[in-house]
Amino acid sequence: MRLSARTFAVDADDVQAFYRDRGWTDGLPVVAPTPERVHAMLEWAGAPPDLVIGVESVKQRPLTAEKVAVNAVLAGCLPPDFPVVAAAVDALCRPELLVHGATASTGGCAILLVVNGPVRHELGMSSAHSVLAGPDRASVCIGRAVRLVLRNLLEVRPGELDRSTLGHPGKLSWCLAEDEEGAVPWRSLGAERGVPAGTSSVTAFAASGPRQVMNEWTTDPTEVLDTVVAEIRAVMLHYSIWPGNYALVVPPQLRSVFHDAGWSKADVRAYVHERAVVRRGDWERVGKQAVVNDANRNVEYRALPTPEHLLVVAAGGDAGGFAAVIPPWLGPKSAAVTVGVGACFDC
Amino acid sequence: MITVLDPGFEADAERLVLAPRPGLLRGATVGIVSNGKAGTKPFFAHLGRILRDEWGVAEVVVRTKANYSAPAETELLDEAVRWAVVFTGVGD
Repeated sequence: MRLSARTFAVDADDVQAFYRDRGWTDGLPVVAPTPERVHAMLEWAGAPPDLVIGVESVKQRPLTAEKVAVNAVLAGCLPPDFPVVAAAVDALCRPELLVHGATASTGGCAILLVVNGPVRHELGMSSAHSVLAGPDRASVCIGRAVRLVLRNLLEVRPGELDRSTLGHPGKLSWCLAEDEEGAVPWRSLGAERGVPAGTSSVTAFAASGPRQVMNEWTTDPTEVLDTVVAEIRAVMLHYSIWPGNYALVVPPQLRSVFHDAGWSKADVRAYVHERAVVRRGDWERVGKQAVVNDANRNVEYRALPTPEHLLVVAAGGDAGGFAAVIPPWLGPKSAAVTVGVGACFDC
Repeated sequence: MITVLDPGFEADAERLVLAPRPGLLRGATVGIVSNGKAGTKPFFAHLGRILRDEWGVAEVVVRTKANYSAPAETELLDEAVRWAVVFTGVGD
């Protein structure tokens, strides 16, 4: 297996400064990407170095397994993580995700990865406490690997191609594993998006920062979802009115409310789709009257074009009546993409 | 000493060649491609006036991309081939 990336001879004590000075890190310490470590990464996945994982459609840049593996090593990934990183990069390169626009936009989204299937257990990924904040090694390193791929292979550096006005903390690393087997099991996101049983997958989503909601004073699923819908309406008023994918992360305590009432993910999606609606005239109440007029005042805008645009994800610690609404970067411009890990189920 | 690898993209310099630089703009057709953001309208209108009044440009063609987050459409790029210079940029 012959590598083709440019090599450097560096004193082991100077590795951190070497990568930092060239702008090849996010500022955190890195693992030296030696040929041996990169070989190990590629061999685990059975990927030849020149395998093109995806072609970023704007720059027409082929992202090879070797280059992705170099960045995965830098990020601290271990070889078993690499198939998930590769699947995430594959997802990034799908035109419908529009990674160039999402990462260059002033809107400041991050790429959220949701992992499903057996690989979660193989990598020791946690779906429980602090699940939106990198609860384990694999989640943190996989998310960071994607960030370094964006930075080093697609020039997504703050102030360069990354023109985010604010950004949010998820840009550093944002990867979570869905809780598929917990006390309140739900059909997995992967299965709902067409992934065959027993196959692992990654769903990538250009996502704004998570907005935590709380309603622990009811056992009525409609009341819980009314709180969720209110948060989505707030997003549509305060941020962007355009429809697209939203994610809803539901921890066990609130999942039990739906479970006890016999509600599936499909029921949740249908309820939210029907009610997450605002009128353009509602913008007059939040200081945006400049773009309201008689012609558009009563025009309705729906957060979700279809119920399936809501990505319902089971995850979170066992106690607490919380959930998280994760809005899209900007309406329909970018669509969530689901890709098999080490498998292709749509080709 | 240890051997480490370059994490960056290495092939662009071989693939991309700059177009020939034009000389004077007097009498030329110049294109302006807006990303569609509202702020570009007065900015590019002013730029167009400067190009005509101060630089002697014969015609300023203003086009707007259909999606400000995506590359320009093929039809727009085909039209741009006929322009001496294209002004575009990133911004709101």
